[in-house]
Amino acid sequence: MRRLCGIETEYGIQVQCSENLDVVTESMELIRCYEKQEFVARWDYSLENPRLDMRGFEVEKLRNDQDELEHLQADRRQKIPIEDLKSDLMICNGARLYNDHTHPEFSTPECRDLFELVAYDRAGGRILSHCADLRTESRGDGMVKLYKNNTDFHGHSYGTHENFLIQRRIDFDLVVSALIPFVVTRQIYAGAGKVGIEQDTKNESATYQISQRSDFFDVICSVDTMQNRPLINSRDEPHANSEFWRRLHIIIGDANMCEWATALKVGTLSLVIDLLEDGCVPSLKFDDPILALKSISKDISCSWPVLMEDGRYYSAIEIQNFYFETARSEYAGRDNETDWLLSEWSRALNSLADNHHSLIGFCDWITKKWLLDEFADTEGLDWEREEDLAWLQSQDLQYHDIDPLEGLSSILESQGKMERLVSDDDVKNAIIFPPLDTRAYFRGRVVSRFSPYIRFLNWDMIEFDVDGNTRKVDLKNCLSIESARAYNLAIDSAKNINDLLGQIDSLSRDSVERGEN
Amino acid sequence: MNKRMERERITKPVRPQEDGGDLIDEGPRRPQIERPGNDDILERMKRVDPNQAKRYRQRTGQ
Repeated sequence: MRRLCGIETEYGIQVQCSENLDVVTESMELIRCYEKQEFVARWDYSLENPRLDMRGFEVEKLRNDQDELEHLQADRRQKIPIEDLKSDLMICNGARLYNDHTHPEFSTPECRDLFELVAYDRAGGRILSHCADLRTESRGDGMVKLYKNNTDFHGHSYGTHENFLIQRRIDFDLVVSALIPFVVTRQIYAGAGKVGIEQDTKNESATYQISQRSDFFDVICSVDTMQNRPLINSRDEPHANSEFWRRLHIIIGDANMCEWATALKVGTLSLVIDLLEDGCVPSLKFDDPILALKSISKDISCSWPVLMEDGRYYSAIEIQNFYFETARSEYAGRDNETDWLLSEWSRALNSLADNHHSLIGFCDWITKKWLLDEFADTEGLDWEREEDLAWLQSQDLQYHDIDPLEGLSSILESQGKMERLVSDDDVKNAIIFPPLDTRAYFRGRVVSRFSPYIRFLNWDMIEFDVDGNTRKVDLKNCLSIESARAYNLAIDSAKNINDLLGQIDSLSRDSVERGEN
Repeated sequence: MNKRMERERITKPVRPQEDGGDLIDEGPRRPQIERPGNDDILERMKRVDPNQAKRYRQRTGQ
């Protein structure tokens, strides 16, 4: 990819055979199972402001639904300090592991390579699955289960967000208008599939949807992420030099179990952002993007008609084809990864038009629907019967169980029925080692080598305490391959913490002299 | 140099190209399956608690 990219995934958590589960404590304790030693709070929240909007203002507060407001009031009575509650960890592979709103979350390190990103996404599941096993052992009663999905089927959603570093010079209004038709229709190959419908149930029925998240989006653009969710999130937290960079925070995507769907979801959007930065993105405008999002999700016939602002209808496949053809004409032959992406994007759109069953093992919504149909046939279940639908919904949840021996998608994978893009060894490496060619390597290796000296840290800053002296390493400008390489060589060659900080001082002086800061 | 730095990058699946650079459409590559199979997974599915999703409750996330 031409840019740094990462995926954050909030997991669902449940303890079997446990009534009145305290999810606040459970999620916190689960994260702490990662560390052998006692938890020390070191995440620097002063560097974050989720209320800051890309459009140049700051909202007074973020929206929450009524359920969550009541939960938060109850949480306050527990008087657990926020640092303990979140139990924020930066781990040795450069990823962030923490408790986000009672959901264990794994945020991959920044990656440049699409398949590497897929490996880190998978590594996050393995790490959390291990934490769940440890937590089950320490609890002594009830098995802790984690689900990589986005809904509890009762109106509560949690996210899988993609982050892309993009150039600040691109007008944000253009970002919004250019990306909406793309992200609204991307679900046709990136949707994870869902049994049932959770919102907007008036005059609508759907036993199966192609997307887990589409029920939960209500506005075009806003800074909110928990209520009135937007198609394009405008949170302005670049985790980089804000003079030059934005972090595009895409919150509309589903959590994918299929590696191919993860790669296509992220990779195609990255190509569309390339088009945006190069000034050649297609100009398309929907009559009602929110309506289009929801109607596409509920249409498993694969016809997906969308009303455009000019009164014409295009199918979601045609919309995607506009982006695909432009990307192919601009970028075919650019590099192996781009050619793979273009080829697979083409395959996805052709297969969806001709025979979507050919994407079993590639697309989650198609794979899951096929599996559930086979099960329904075997057991004589009727999708229209309420109690049968409940069992199918339970199978839907089981598809997303991250226990490698229990999750239905994992079992399909073990039977060789899911397309693999990375090997088990790649995933094992990603559990331990950070990516080689981004600043995540520096951060991950610092955590491995010099953890006792770290006082605070965040994505783009590490503050050390060396013999009572505070020393900061600012990573806001450590974004290019060259810059990352210099920092990464420093951490590999440093004999001790003072040697490291001396080398970083020297690099900083050089970059100032070159006018890079 | 660090051993990891020497490690080769993850091998990418690369699709073949025609001489002219146009992408070849090899058509769908459906996994070799007719039914799940596949009795293992269908047997596992029978053991899934029919009320598992009914009891599954989460708090709103982002």
